[in-house]
Amino acid sequence: MGLTAPARQVRPSPEEATAPGPPAARGGLRHRLNRLRRLIGIGPFLAYLTLFLIVPSISVVSSAFEDEKGNFTWSNITASLHGVYLTSYKTSLEISAVSALVSAVAGTLVAIALASSTSRTLNRLVTTGSGVFANTGGLPLAFAFIATLGNFGIVTKILSAIGWDPYNHGFTLYSATGLVVVYCYFLVPLMVLVMLPAVQNLRSEWFEAASILGASRRECWHRVGIPLLGPAFFAALMVLFTDAFAAYATAETLTQGTVPLVPIQIGSLIEGNVLSNQQNLGDALGLGMIVVVAIAAVLYATVQRRAARWQH
Amino acid sequence: MAALTLTPGAAVRRRSPSASAFRFGFAPRTIILVLTGLYFLIPLAASARYALEGSGGSISFSSIDQLFHDGTLWSGLVTSLEIAAGAAVITLLLLVPTSIWINLRMPAFRRTMEGLTLLPLVVPTVVLVLGIFGAFRSFPNLIVGTPVILALEYVVLALPFSYRAIDSGVQALDLHTLVDAGKSLGSGWTQLFWRVLLPNLRTAILSAAFLTVAYSIGEFAVANLLTFNTFPTRLYEVGTEYAGEATAVSVFALVLTWGLLLVMSFVGGRKRRQHAATAALPATTELAGSVSEDLAAEVDELAGAVGLGGAGAASAPAPHDEEQGMTDDPAPDDEEN
Repeated sequence: MGLTAPARQVRPSPEEATAPGPPAARGGLRHRLNRLRRLIGIGPFLAYLTLFLIVPSISVVSSAFEDEKGNFTWSNITASLHGVYLTSYKTSLEISAVSALVSAVAGTLVAIALASSTSRTLNRLVTTGSGVFANTGGLPLAFAFIATLGNFGIVTKILSAIGWDPYNHGFTLYSATGLVVVYCYFLVPLMVLVMLPAVQNLRSEWFEAASILGASRRECWHRVGIPLLGPAFFAALMVLFTDAFAAYATAETLTQGTVPLVPIQIGSLIEGNVLSNQQNLGDALGLGMIVVVAIAAVLYATVQRRAARWQH
Repeated sequence: MAALTLTPGAAVRRRSPSASAFRFGFAPRTIILVLTGLYFLIPLAASARYALEGSGGSISFSSIDQLFHDGTLWSGLVTSLEIAAGAAVITLLLLVPTSIWINLRMPAFRRTMEGLTLLPLVVPTVVLVLGIFGAFRSFPNLIVGTPVILALEYVVLALPFSYRAIDSGVQALDLHTLVDAGKSLGSGWTQLFWRVLLPNLRTAILSAAFLTVAYSIGEFAVANLLTFNTFPTRLYEVGTEYAGEATAVSVFALVLTWGLLLVMSFVGGRKRRQHAATAALPATTELAGSVSEDLAAEVDELAGAVGLGGAGAASAPAPHDEEQGMTDDPAPDDEEN
């Protein structure tokens, strides 16, 4: 937080520099009027965002603490942290953590491999491909993996022809493990995009400096490379985690709701909200999701500030 | 600008792999890239095969053909296209003036604005649906009870991508010069907007519209939970019964979207290189200053292209940009040049 404070103080100056009117008016009524007039220009946008994003979000938070008559209650929160819902939090956190970690490691390796290559075509192909794959999800992704690793998927068929049927060895695509395999499909490219700049920023001078001081190749990674990539890696991990944690469409279409994730639970509460009070229970679960995402975002911002120190 | 964007590429070339410890040798990097490539390509190949498999292992398109004779999928597609068109129109009406205004009048607000447009990524879509149920209960049924609400929300959900596309286009313009020149030639704000700014932003506008449309046509979670029959929800229903056919259609839609994204990204890249080359001419700004119709078209060639760069970039996830924002915010695509 200490780092943001000076930045905030600097911020108004360029604005004032471009502001019309004599400098004498600075801070005065006229300046404030100008400021207000400028804000009017983005009024429609702010109003739209407030109405269609902020208001619904606040509504979720507030009705998490209400019973069906609108009175204050803790019962939704309590209910959302017990029984099946507690299990769903565990499953969700587990799947998101594992798939984020696996994808982060894989994505970093790809980023380093890419940075090692001098081919610009390859670079361009992979970054463009990553941008595209990172946004794949939901129905097409679920279908693609069913065709690959589903009961009658092509890879499943090939593997069982070789004599190792994954479905006889405890694997099924429609499970937590299956979800991790599928989530990596959009998380790895995301990681590549986030890590590539950091990896490209690892200067060979730093390695040379370390090796002149007597470091071996392994020590260079251990003492220089990993500490430098560490913050960026962790920040990216938070992004991946959030992405996996919020994913609904892929899980729903792949498992038809058989793996109890928090978004899936919320979905089934919404779909079956004929019973009273279920809406508020859903809101409580939603609040839980917001809290988890907020924690990840705070961690991200904290680490990111460290990572940014080395990015110039 | 040209020098700046060229630096990373040049730096990478200078560091030959053997010269740095922070790089992989040929064998490990080939293994990594090939394995990753397989992981990404096999599901595509598998679904394409699955989808096109006719009787006796021959390739046939009959499954796709058959599916579109089924009316439900068509009606879903029509609904989705209507929603997408609505969302794109609202996006443009909302974002183009906002972006121009911010870049012209309140550049200090730019960073905050970027943060605001990333907000939709922080709220999980399922939570947003909960909020829609809770907050809009008293809204007229015309909005909440019809797919109109989907169009309205998709504008928000696609915001991290669409705003980036438009804003990078606007930032690439020499706005102050264009506005001053236009005004000194006697044009009013309306004329300036329609005849100078909009033509210059053509590619940025196109890519923002495309990204919004792509998002709207593919969105499943919100549509499904609000129980509207759009293309993805219909496809999901069909998929439970005719898996092969549904896979065929989804693969087809996916490949189409990707193809367009790739084309846009590559066209953007090519144009951007031209841009970089021409931008070196110091005369460019003076030329742009004397805004006659044909010169404006030339500036369009130069500047609008960067908007397309935003397309590839915007399809890249915004968290990446957030990270970049901590440094001096180069468009992610710029690293390739």
